Amino acid sequence: MSGLRQFFGQPRSLVGAGFLLILLVASLCAPLITPYDPNSLEFGPFMPLSAQHWLGTTALGQDIFAQFIYGARLTLLVGAVAGLIATLLSVTFGLAAAYLGGRVDEAINTLINVFLVLPGLPLVIVASAFLRGGGVWPVILVISFTGWAFGARVLRAQALALRERDFVQAAVVAGEGPGRIIFREMLPNMAGLIAANFFGAALYAVLSEAALSFIGVGDVSLVTWGTMLYWAQAKGALLQGAWWWVALPGLGIALLGTSFALLNFAIDEISNPKLGRSNVKLPARKKPAPGAGVGNPDALLSIRDLNVGYLTPGPTVRAVRDVSLDVQPGELLGLAGESGCGKSTLAFAVTRLLDPPGAVLGGSVRLAEHDLLNLSPEELRRVRWKEFSMVFQASMNVLNPVLKIREQVYDAMQAHGVTDKQKLDARARELFDLVGIQASYLDAYPHQLSGGMKQRVVIAIALALEPKLIVMDEPTTALDVVVQRQILQEINDVRRRLGISIIFITHDLSLLVEMSDRVAIMYAGEVVELAPAHQLYAHPAHPYTQQLMNSFPPMTGPRTRRSGIPGKPPSLSAEIVGCPFFERCNKRMPGVCDVKPLQTFPVAEEQTAACFLYDPTVSPALKENAIRDSQHVQMEVSRESAHSANLN
Amino acid sequence: MSYLLRKLGIFVFTLWVAATLNFVLPRLVPGDPVSVMLAKYQGRLDPAAVDALKIAYGLNDLGSPVSQYFSYLGNLLRGDFGRSISLFPTPVIDVVRMALPYTLGLIGVTTIISFVLGSALGLYSGWRRGGVVADGLTPVALFLNAMPYFWFGLILLYVFAFQLKWFPLSGALDPFPGDTYSAGWWSSLLRHAALPVFTILVTSVGGWLITMRNNVINVAGEDYLAFARAKGLTERRIISRYVLRNALLPSFTAFGMALGFVVGGSILTEIVFSYPGLGFYLYQSVTNLDYPLMQAIFFFIALAVLLANLLVDFVNVLLDPRIREGQA
Repeated sequence: MSGLRQFFGQPRSLVGAGFLLILLVASLCAPLITPYDPNSLEFGPFMPLSAQHWLGTTALGQDIFAQFIYGARLTLLVGAVAGLIATLLSVTFGLAAAYLGGRVDEAINTLINVFLVLPGLPLVIVASAFLRGGGVWPVILVISFTGWAFGARVLRAQALALRERDFVQAAVVAGEGPGRIIFREMLPNMAGLIAANFFGAALYAVLSEAALSFIGVGDVSLVTWGTMLYWAQAKGALLQGAWWWVALPGLGIALLGTSFALLNFAIDEISNPKLGRSNVKLPARKKPAPGAGVGNPDALLSIRDLNVGYLTPGPTVRAVRDVSLDVQPGELLGLAGESGCGKSTLAFAVTRLLDPPGAVLGGSVRLAEHDLLNLSPEELRRVRWKEFSMVFQASMNVLNPVLKIREQVYDAMQAHGVTDKQKLDARARELFDLVGIQASYLDAYPHQLSGGMKQRVVIAIALALEPKLIVMDEPTTALDVVVQRQILQEINDVRRRLGISIIFITHDLSLLVEMSDRVAIMYAGEVVELAPAHQLYAHPAHPYTQQLMNSFPPMTGPRTRRSGIPGKPPSLSAEIVGCPFFERCNKRMPGVCDVKPLQTFPVAEEQTAACFLYDPTVSPALKENAIRDSQHVQMEVSRESAHSANLN
Repeated sequence: MSYLLRKLGIFVFTLWVAATLNFVLPRLVPGDPVSVMLAKYQGRLDPAAVDALKIAYGLNDLGSPVSQYFSYLGNLLRGDFGRSISLFPTPVIDVVRMALPYTLGLIGVTTIISFVLGSALGLYSGWRRGGVVADGLTPVALFLNAMPYFWFGLILLYVFAFQLKWFPLSGALDPFPGDTYSAGWWSSLLRHAALPVFTILVTSVGGWLITMRNNVINVAGEDYLAFARAKGLTERRIISRYVLRNALLPSFTAFGMALGFVVGGSILTEIVFSYPGLGFYLYQSVTNLDYPLMQAIFFFIALAVLLANLLVDFVNVLLDPRIREGQA
C-alpha cells in the first residue's frame, strides 16, 4: 500500500491521473456539457468561433466542440480496450514463456522478437485495409495483436527473475499447482509492471487509432479524435483557416497520450526504485566543535565523532553513531560486527563514496594532512587512490565489463599523472606479479576471469599508486576458503613490505583476530570495543564481544555447544537511550545500562569498551550481580547440553 | 559467431513471417480476394488489371492454397510483386524502387540523428538527475513522444509553409531543380526535407531520451561506477568510458526494438508533406485500394527495419565483449 501512497505523492502521477479522470467524466457527461449532437449537420459550414459554437463548425456543419467531447468516448474506449487486450496477451505469453521454460519459452521468445521488429503501423494499415468498414472492433483487435510484443518481452524477463526467487522456488517444492503459483505468488509481484505496461499499450493504441483514422482506414463514419483529423484534412480545414479544427483533436491525443505515459513512467519509477528521485534534502553537516578534530597527531587516519545516516522520507536511519577511530601508519585495523551494524557505511563515509540518501551528518575525518570531508571535488579526485584506495565488498562487479583489464589498471595511474606507456606497462606487470596473476590477463575482459582472479586484479589496482591507506570491505567473503587464505596472505605480505595501513572490514571475527594489529567491534552503529587483537582474543571486555567469540568453536578442547546471540539489534531509525545492546545483553544492569547515556571506558592498556561494567561510577555490587546472573544462565545452558549429550 | 548466426536466423524467419502475413491477410476476407476487390472497384478495373491481380495473388494457379503459397513465395524471391493497380501497368517493384531512396534518406537519416540527439540529452538528464533542467526534460519528452507525428507535421505545414511561406508545401524537389547533385538541386532537396525532418526529430527524440536516461541511471548504481569514482578518474573519463559505454548497450538494443515502431510512425509524415517516399505511396495505395502495392510496401518497410536491426546486432558485437564470447 505504500506503493499507492508513493504513487499519489508524485506530481507526475497526479497530473496524469487527473487529466484522465477529467476526460473520462467529460466524455461520459457529454450531453450535459454541450447541447449539440456531434453528428447533426444542421449548422452552416465553417462557422467561426462564437458563443453558440465555441470552436466553430466543420465543413459539413457539425459543431466541433461537441465532436471533440463525444469523440473522447471512442478514443478512450479504443485506448482502454486495446490496452487491456494487448496487456492480457503480454501477461499470458510472458508468464507462459517464463513458467513453462524450455521449448515453449524458446518458441514464444522467437514469436515476441518477430512481432517486435515487424513494423507495427504499416502492418496495422495493411490489415485494416482488408478488414475495413467493420466499425471500431476490427481496429481494436488489429492494434492489440500488433502491440503486445513489447510488454511480453519486459514481463517475460521479470517473470523469469521471479521464477528464480526463493519464495517461488519454495512454493514449487511445497507442491503448489502451477495456477496457484502463477496467480498467488508471481502475479502480485508483477502488478506494478503490468499496470505500467497497460498504460504503455494504451498510448500505442491511441496513437495507432489516430494514425489509422487519419489515413482513412478504419471507420471514418465514427466520431473519434482520429476521424476528426481525417475529416479536417480531407475538407481542407487548414486551407480555410480553421486551424483549431486540426489543432484541438491532435492536442487532445497528445495530452491523453502524455497522461498515459506519465502514469506508465510513475509506476515504473516505483517498481524500480533506482529510477526514482530521492526527495529528501541533504542537511548541512554539523561543523565539528573547535579542537574536536585534533585526535591523535601521530595517527595516519583520524576519525572523530563521525555520524552517518540515511535520509528516508520517515525518520533518519543513523547507521554510524559518534564513531572515533585512529589508524596508525602501517597498522592493520580490523573492523567487525554483524551485517547491518554500519561497518560498510563507515567505510563509504570515510572514503566519501556514500551516495544519497546516505549522508555524513557530523564529525571529521583526517587522512595525513587532508581534511577528507571538506575537500573540493577536484581536490578529492587528486587525493583519491594516491593517498587511499578501496577494495569493495562486491568485487565481482567492480570491473567495467566492456573495457579490457589493462585499461582499468592504467586509468587509475593515468588519472594521477603516470602517462608514459612503458612505465604503465611495467607497473601493471609488476602489480600482477605481486598478486599472483599472469600478465597475459591484462588483455582479458573481466568476464573471462574467475571470482578470485577479479579480486586479485582489484587488489592490484588498489596497490597501483602505493597509497598510505587501503580500506578493504569484506574483500574475500565471496571466495572459497583456499583462495581466501592465499589472498589474505598476499595482502599481509604486501602490507608489511610497503608499510601500508589497512582497514579490514569483515564479519569473520576469528579471521580478524588472526590478522589484525587491533580490532574494533561495531554494534548498532557504534564502536563498542577497541583492543589489540591478542588482548581481544584473550580477554574480550564487552559482553557483545564475549558472546561473539562464543559463537565460534575453538580449535582445541572439548566439544561444547555454541550459542548464538538471541534477539536482534535495535532499529537504527529510533533514538537509543543508554546501551544499544541492552536488550540482548546477558550481563545487563537494569536501571543503569538503559538509562545513562553511553560512554566509552578504558578497560586495560589500549583496550576500551562502551560498557557500564567498566564505569567506575557504577557500584561494584551491581556489576557482580550482573556477572553472577550471567554465569548462572551459562551453567544452566551447559547442564542442559550435557543432558542432551547423555541422551544421545 | 553463433550469436550472429542466430540473429541471421531470426532475420530470415521474420522476413518469412512478413511475407506469409502478406499471403494470408487477403485470404482472411470471406470469398476470394480478387472478387472482393473487384466488388469494391465496382467494375472500374480493366481486364488486364484483373489478370495481373490474379497473378499477384497466385489465384491464376487453381491448385490448393499450398501450391498457391509456393508460387507466391517463388514470385517474391524473383522480385516479382505484380503490377500496381492505381499506376497500372507499372510493376510494383518499379514504384518501390522510385520511392525507396526518399524514405531511406528522410527517415533513415533522421532516425539516426534523432537517436544520437535523444541519447545525448538522455545522458545529460540521467547523469545530472535532481537538477531542474535535467528532471524537467522528462515530462517534455513524454509529451513530445505522445504527439501524433502527422498532426505535428500538419501544424508545422500550416504555420511555416502555408502562413509564413518559408518552406515549400509539398514534394521532395522543385519541378526543375537543376542537375542532380548540383548546388541548386541540393538546396531544393534540403528545403523540401526541412519540415518533415523537423517533425520526425521533435516527435521521436523524446523516446530515445527516456530510454537513455533510464539506462544511465541504472549504470550509475553499478559497483564499477563507484569504483571508477574511488579511483579518482576525471568526470570526463567516467562519463565517456564507464557510463556511456555501458548505457549505450541497452540503448542500442532498444533502438533496434523500437525501430519498427518509429519508422512505422514516421512514414505518416510523408503523407502530410506529400513526400514521395514509401509512406506516401502506402497512403496512395490504401486510398486507391491498390493491394499489391500496399503489400509490397509493407514488405519493403519490414525488410529495411529488419536489415537495420541486423546492423544493430553487428555493432553490438563490436561494442560488447560478452556477446563476442557468447555469454550474453
